[in-house]
Amino acid sequence: MTFARLTSALAMVAALAVAAPASAVEKQDGKFWMVIGGRQAVSHVDPGQSYDYAIRMMTQALYDGLVKYTGNPPEVQPWLATDWETSEDGLTWTFHLAPDATFHNGDPVTAEAVVYSYQRVLEMNEGVAWMLSDVLQAENIKALDEGTVEFTLDRPYAPFLSFLPWWFIVNPAQVEANVVDGDFGKAWLTEHEAGSGPYSLEKFDQGTSYWLKRNPDYWKGFPYDNDDMGGIIYRLIRESSSQRAGLISGEADLVTDLTPEELQVVGARPDIETTSTPALTSFGLKMNTQGEYTSDLNLRKAIAYAFDYDTFVQVYNGNATLQTSPFTDAIRGKVDIDMPRQDMEKAKEYLAQSAWPEGGITLEYVYVQSLEQQRQMGLSLLNSLKELNIELEMVPLTWPNMVARAGDVEQSPDLMAIFSTPVSTDPDAVAIQYHPNSHGKYYGSHFLDDAELNGMIEEARKLSDWDERAPIYAEIQQRIADLQPEIFGMMRERQFAYRTYVHGYEDSPIRMTGEVDLYPLFIQP
Amino acid sequence: MRKMIAKRLGLMVVMLLGLAVITFTVANVAPGDPARLAAGPDASADMVEEIRVERGFDRPLPIRFGIYLGQLVQGDLGTSVYTGRPVLQDVAQFLPATVELVLFSIFIAILLGVPLGVLAAVFQNRVPDHAIRLLSVSGVALPMFWLGLMLQWYLALDLGWFPLGGRLGIFDDVPPKITGMITFDALLAGDPATAGAALWHMILPAAALSFPALAAIIRVNRAEMLEVLGRDYVTNARAQGIGPFRIIAVYSLKNAILPTLAMIGLRFGWMLGGTVLVEGVFDFPGIGLYAAKAAISSDFEPIMAVTLILGAAFMLTNLVIDLAYAALDPRVRNQI
Repeated sequence: MTFARLTSALAMVAALAVAAPASAVEKQDGKFWMVIGGRQAVSHVDPGQSYDYAIRMMTQALYDGLVKYTGNPPEVQPWLATDWETSEDGLTWTFHLAPDATFHNGDPVTAEAVVYSYQRVLEMNEGVAWMLSDVLQAENIKALDEGTVEFTLDRPYAPFLSFLPWWFIVNPAQVEANVVDGDFGKAWLTEHEAGSGPYSLEKFDQGTSYWLKRNPDYWKGFPYDNDDMGGIIYRLIRESSSQRAGLISGEADLVTDLTPEELQVVGARPDIETTSTPALTSFGLKMNTQGEYTSDLNLRKAIAYAFDYDTFVQVYNGNATLQTSPFTDAIRGKVDIDMPRQDMEKAKEYLAQSAWPEGGITLEYVYVQSLEQQRQMGLSLLNSLKELNIELEMVPLTWPNMVARAGDVEQSPDLMAIFSTPVSTDPDAVAIQYHPNSHGKYYGSHFLDDAELNGMIEEARKLSDWDERAPIYAEIQQRIADLQPEIFGMMRERQFAYRTYVHGYEDSPIRMTGEVDLYPLFIQP
Repeated sequence: MRKMIAKRLGLMVVMLLGLAVITFTVANVAPGDPARLAAGPDASADMVEEIRVERGFDRPLPIRFGIYLGQLVQGDLGTSVYTGRPVLQDVAQFLPATVELVLFSIFIAILLGVPLGVLAAVFQNRVPDHAIRLLSVSGVALPMFWLGLMLQWYLALDLGWFPLGGRLGIFDDVPPKITGMITFDALLAGDPATAGAALWHMILPAAALSFPALAAIIRVNRAEMLEVLGRDYVTNARAQGIGPFRIIAVYSLKNAILPTLAMIGLRFGWMLGGTVLVEGVFDFPGIGLYAAKAAISSDFEPIMAVTLILGAAFMLTNLVIDLAYAALDPRVRNQI
């Protein structure tokens, strides 16, 4: 090719680029493809391996579970299972499957497939396995007939149903055909799927974009009368400012997890809708209850009363709500508790009763080094603690280093900034975070171990009658608040922005920070 | 010459081994628990331990290093904890993108930097020199990240002249993979429009990436040209009535270009390892972003692989520059 031809080709492309600003509302083969700009890469689409918000968003579109969370407040709805019953002792759960459910390759979704999928995860002992591995043995899941599956638990476990939306059903025939060296098909399922969900995997371009093709024959149908949707592209846009630019230019139709500043900018435009709603996610400054200083309850109370709680809301431009209980608002059984708010007199009273009545100590505050908001919270705390003659050493760390320190009681810092998202609305999902079972996990960096609290948590999770459970959880919330294992903070709002031609967005606080339910979304220019 | 190349390549192997020891040690003694990260945030202690054993993180460091070296000589770079794929597959996907971007950037930097350096020297302390100095000082002072954002905001979003990011438009067909560099692959496939589109997508990231190198090339070339233009043989050439263009472009530039060449070699190595910020702004899926994600995730096998590959690239570039030195300067050639 001559230089002149290359130059003319370049000029042609340049002219096209200038003449037609990119817009994602393009039809490919006569269908709309929605572009979602997110910051987190999808490391795999195997519902049996580890999960984060990007993985969960994909797997939920590719696969179906027996049940699904929808709405606000989130409710568990029938999905692959049309109905179910529980034995009186709470041990046996029997699910009846939708007779018309099929995998993408046309195979029927059978009880055997359900058994296989659950056993696969339990045997791999990865991903969501932790939710049920203490109460469910692989051999105790049985197909009673083609459309009925029975789970027999080791002991009554009230939160059982609340975890099932995150257990997805794979097609055993497809997975088994791709097992290599007994790997449960993990390598293959990293970039392939064997599901029955509303979308199938069209392209997996790691580090760039992930294409989901709408399955027009989805056995459950779609909640909209519009056959123009071709699919959804989850495109990586790693910088918040680039997300904003992408949305404004139309290169992205919906962006997840914008910063509060970016949300304000795009929210002022007439062609963009924004949402900002409280999530299940809580944010707090966890205190190591077995640390040299913060093992002293009076000192913890003094710190809690010294903190300026308005900071929590201000750093998010008002897009946050203070917690009124250790449980966030959407958790079932949440009750309002009298939580500490800034009161320096009370703080001084508690400090006087502590082992350091004059202060004179230095505490360590660890936070994620790239998160400006967490630094600002540290500065606010530093300022407040000065009045108590307590110094604060602010230590920014990368997330892996924080996780490593949070996992060891000897290394867990006095205070650590932690976001935590429960995977279910069942109160056990939050209560267990204050039980020794959570020691070693990042949200267990408080290393709280209180016999009275532990007993209540263990008792409540065994009961199946909500009327019996509810008062125990009210006591649990009060007890956790009394023990002050953290400065209970706020519920940060989940923030999304999308073009006005995007329809069907459904908010649900059960979803993680940048997670969207793709199923109801569609484009209608 | 051959003896010198063989000696340098032998030395490279020793240096790479040293680099491997240092990187392996640093990556493994640094705090962070890759097994915990691979298992996920809610994983129980036994799930974490299973992954630790499965991935061999429980073994003593020297044994792990021995196993790693054994894999390495067989061409196995290990498996990424984060992507779950062989590191070789990841590197084969992401490295060509970065190499393509860096080649384009260095091309821009040379294409503009050398003539501007000459121009600044020829017009010393006059308006063109001052204007060029402003450019070169900006190149040194402006953070690459910020410059990238500004270019993206004004030239791509406001004016719509360039795409916001990526290597191609989201719906563009990618040419069959041969080198992994879209421009070359498209040309090899006889598809100049896609090659043009790929270059069009690279203009803004390349502009941001090349600016510091451009500034450095201008400054070094200007200084060298000033020195050469003051030499006796240049005065003699002028006295003999040789035209100014020939004096500058042929007699002076050839002597002034050597230090610039050495600097270009160094810059090329730095740029290969320093693209992460630009890749982040323009969502250019290259090795910089991959390495940064691996470092943040304590994903040590990708960290090792990227470090070794970039180290080797740096050493090879320097070897090529030394050979270019020899080709341009007979004195150097005679010493080899």
